[in-house]
Amino acid sequence: MRLYEYEAKKLFSRDGIPVPQAEIVKSPEDARNFAKKSGKPVVLKAQVLSGGRGKAGGIKFALNPEEAKEKAAELFSLKIKGFPVEMILLEEKVDVEKELYVGVTIDRLNYKLVIIVCTEGGMEIEEVARKSPEKVKKINLDIDEKLYQFQAQSLVKWLGVKGEQIRNVGNIISSLFKVFKSYDAKLVEINPLILTRKGEYIACDARMSVDDDALFRHKELSEMGIEKRHEEGEMTQREKKARGWEIPYVDLDGDIGMFPGGAGFGIMGNDFIHYFGGKPANFMDSGGGPTPERLAQMLILLDENPQVKAIFGARFGGISRCDDFAKGVVMFLKEHGLSKPMVLRMTGNMWQEGVRIFQQAEKENPEIFRNIEIHGIETPIEEIAKRAVELAKKM
Amino acid sequence: MAILVDNNSKVIVQGITGGAGRFHTERMLQYGTKIVAGTSPGKGGEKVFDVPVYDTVEECVKNHQADTSIIFLPARFVMEACVEAIYAGIKFVVVIPEHIPIFDMMQIRKEALKHNALVIGGNTAGIITPGEVNLGIMPDIAFSPGRVGTVSRSGSLTYYVADTLTRTGYGETTCVGLGGDPVLGTTFDEILWLFEKDEKTKAVVLVGEIGGVYEEKAKDTISKMKKPVIAMVGGLYAPQGKRMGHAGAIVEGEMGTAQSKLKALEQGGAHIAKTFLDIPEILKKLGI
Repeated sequence: MRLYEYEAKKLFSRDGIPVPQAEIVKSPEDARNFAKKSGKPVVLKAQVLSGGRGKAGGIKFALNPEEAKEKAAELFSLKIKGFPVEMILLEEKVDVEKELYVGVTIDRLNYKLVIIVCTEGGMEIEEVARKSPEKVKKINLDIDEKLYQFQAQSLVKWLGVKGEQIRNVGNIISSLFKVFKSYDAKLVEINPLILTRKGEYIACDARMSVDDDALFRHKELSEMGIEKRHEEGEMTQREKKARGWEIPYVDLDGDIGMFPGGAGFGIMGNDFIHYFGGKPANFMDSGGGPTPERLAQMLILLDENPQVKAIFGARFGGISRCDDFAKGVVMFLKEHGLSKPMVLRMTGNMWQEGVRIFQQAEKENPEIFRNIEIHGIETPIEEIAKRAVELAKKM
Repeated sequence: MAILVDNNSKVIVQGITGGAGRFHTERMLQYGTKIVAGTSPGKGGEKVFDVPVYDTVEECVKNHQADTSIIFLPARFVMEACVEAIYAGIKFVVVIPEHIPIFDMMQIRKEALKHNALVIGGNTAGIITPGEVNLGIMPDIAFSPGRVGTVSRSGSLTYYVADTLTRTGYGETTCVGLGGDPVLGTTFDEILWLFEKDEKTKAVVLVGEIGGVYEEKAKDTISKMKKPVIAMVGGLYAPQGKRMGHAGAIVEGEMGTAQSKLKALEQGGAHIAKTFLDIPEILKKLGI
């Protein structure tokens, strides 16, 4: 998951990487005050978690305090990839002599840590590497290998840095690698690393992504208010609600509510809906062996979503049992009711018992099953997906 | 014949006294899996469904010649447990828990290579050789002995594929779950080669999903194989930058899209199935 630029810079700076004088502001007035205090031209950078910030107009410059206030107001009224700007990072503008790139990431395929430097900063590194590979140099390390200073310095020399600065930039790379290792990062980048006209090196933009699954061993991150989020982009209200219930959930822009079993089928099921001419309203994963409460929560998310016109359900009882599944769905229907039609397929562990529970409940309360179609192993899942598309179109 | 596990495998369960360990030990025993021992530090001497519990893996190997392990422990303890098994001489480890930190998994991979062991997972539903051994959490009902091997990153998709193969009479030799985590103990290539060498396996179904580049990497292996590979990839319509349930299922930049995976797999010579129902159709056309 990605960190905001200001969070990354805070961590970089703690480990001795030089960053510009900066402050986070939440109002145009604060932006003016910062510029006044600094007395220098400033850069205003919208703090968002999605890429393409520059292209979306999320970075502005101001020469004086009044201009800083104006530009901040513009940024606060901006939406980047659908999300409003709530925080702006204000920094003193740096005079640029030269821009470089340094980063550390993981090569998952070869199980290596990779330290990357590039003589051209400020661009997407993947793009530079593709177009001009001669501008990029890498060192691969095993997970338990150390980055020696001489290795970092040899990269720095290769970048063309001279004299005393070789040691300083070498230290920046060593520190960056240390940040990477100490926080279980997936990516740390200084892009660009700027050489100022005064001959100093300073980290002008910072990008950092950490491994969500290692957050448990980094209390210092949660103390900074960094908790689970998307890799890219902010969370919607419904996604936050789902996260509160620990349900992996992603909002999409279609009208078919997806109520599948595992994550793998959740992903493939969404494709099936598209193949048959429909569009899913969400991605969802029940996790292994969901409790009746969790099943009810999953259905609530779909029932409350005004975008959802019909629901596609699938259950392959593996680690979970179909009788528990049926109990959960029946409990939800009795207590809450479903305002939308649903087509469902249930098979796997204990399916006979599951079917019996549904039949019994329908006999007792036929009205709550009025809009629900339940299938078993005899109906291929592809047919269920087609039916869900049909139901949504009818509504 | 089968790959990796058969009815000679001597299995231990690491974390056998925990809730999940206990529950699945019983299920696996019922299937016929030879579970010779289990571990739980501090609980040596106890028994779980008549299976002796030890404090260490070393004791399980010494007393029972165990060669295979399955881990049911919280993610944060997996690295220690897995490396303990590898150091004790276990050659095949199944890591069921999900959300193993990436750095931990990289360390596990390094130790496994050094000691000539194979680790599958994390976040795998396990491995099953139908009729012989079920090592994991897969539902028996979907599987039957047969002639097609499967390898997938997802448990639920393994069930749907096996269910289709079972209903159409093909059955399965072995079904391997690689796991849904971003960094995996074993990749498609290694499993594909094992199927290539397995006499009974006539074709392989590979099921991939968005995230990472393991599917792209499989291209070269598939092009060198004599046996046909049928491939399916989930996530053609997945949004950018959002984790889709599995920790590893996320499209980051241009990397790991379903389109790039399908393209690579097709270039390698795989037959592409869009839905499960396509799989038996393709097998029929191939004369299998």
